[in-house]
Amino acid sequence: MDDRSFVAAQDVILDMKKHWTTRLYPALKAEYAEKAAGSAPSSRHDVAELLQDSTTYRFFGWMERHLQRMKYSGPYGLDPYHKERSTALTGSLPDMSDDLRLELNPDFENPVYYETVDVHQHPGGVWSDAVSGFIYERGARSTTPMLGEKHRDMHGRLTDRAIRDGVPERMLDMGCGFGKSTRPFWEELRDTQVEAVDLAAPCLTLAAADAAQAQAENVRFRQMSAYETDYDDHSFDLVTSTMLLHEMPPEEIGKTFDECARVLKPGGRMVHLDFYILPDPFAEFIHYGHSRRNNEPFMVPLAEMDVRAELEARGFTNISIEPFQEAEGIDTENSPYWRFPWTIIAAERA
Amino acid sequence: MKNPDWVTQGPPETPLPEQTFFADPALDRAFAVTMTLATEVWVLKDRVMALEAALAKAGVVDPAALDAEPDHEERQSREAARQAFVAGLLDNLTGLQASAGAPEKES
Repeated sequence: MDDRSFVAAQDVILDMKKHWTTRLYPALKAEYAEKAAGSAPSSRHDVAELLQDSTTYRFFGWMERHLQRMKYSGPYGLDPYHKERSTALTGSLPDMSDDLRLELNPDFENPVYYETVDVHQHPGGVWSDAVSGFIYERGARSTTPMLGEKHRDMHGRLTDRAIRDGVPERMLDMGCGFGKSTRPFWEELRDTQVEAVDLAAPCLTLAAADAAQAQAENVRFRQMSAYETDYDDHSFDLVTSTMLLHEMPPEEIGKTFDECARVLKPGGRMVHLDFYILPDPFAEFIHYGHSRRNNEPFMVPLAEMDVRAELEARGFTNISIEPFQEAEGIDTENSPYWRFPWTIIAAERA
Repeated sequence: MKNPDWVTQGPPETPLPEQTFFADPALDRAFAVTMTLATEVWVLKDRVMALEAALAKAGVVDPAALDAEPDHEERQSREAARQAFVAGLLDNLTGLQASAGAPEKES
């Protein structure tokens, strides 16, 4: 596949996704409002019943499922495009074998759940191929179609929120992927030592290469599980994660909160950005559907988890679970367009 | 909250079928063909636009002439090809048998 055709196809698939976001979603919401008039739907099951014969909903579901499939697979998919260029892409990375910014564990074994589902419909997941990190990075540029180039802003906004109560000396970014969430921290907080962990070696390699290119001296990317790190107790002033919790089974989410409590210093804070607050049955219906259609099965158990109770049970204090405005001007209460239910889950270790 | 069993057991031996959204799954597949072709149409349009821009820059074509309404003669020169295109596309709607099958009733 030639580069021009790939870019043209990816652009038009993204435009179709934007259309889905800004035209099909509002049409579905309007149809739902009409069908729900006079009744009081109290759960996603009520919404499902109202929309079960909706042609609009069928196309909505189809488009959500298959535009993502077309983005990753098929004649102009991210997966074949990058795999055709595997040698050139991996060859473009600097030699990181002696670089302290990267620590891979060749004996690391992925959890079974991680290898069972191709999350985001990314064939083979973000871990199985040397170019998986490149594929994920390219794909993530259009994860939230309305954000576009503002995606970088979103991570910056989270960084601002995470350091609102003070700049940490040492921090840990869990599930850092290819380093997009970590970058604003090591870039802006030059006196902070930033540790970042993830399961996926191809992603960590990309993240570390990015930091090496920028000659960052305050960050280290290490291959390990967020819920089983090798850091000492009370090692960090701040622990963060971005879109990590919903990728984990519920028991592992619990273990991750345990690990946060263990590695945080007393008075240290954790700030997780994820998808959680679902203000009404329609939002719940849409989110649960997205979970299935985008191969993200753990979005549902996270949504059903009593996160506040889980944190209280672990002794966290100053718990804050609040909507997160991913970009300036976004209406988090009643967006006219489809958006993720972005939520900040923050707490302090007693 | 407990994990589902597959979290530790791994994937099923037989992969699950693709999700469907319409009452007739044929529509799911047919619409996928349509959307794949729509993507291909844009890829082609993009290439034609790039070609035209390159040719115009080299002075080979005049973009205004390309955009102008074709005269009668030019349209006639493509009439047969256009009609063949339409026939090839829409003959499918007639449901006519293109090759003789055995003269037996459907069982």
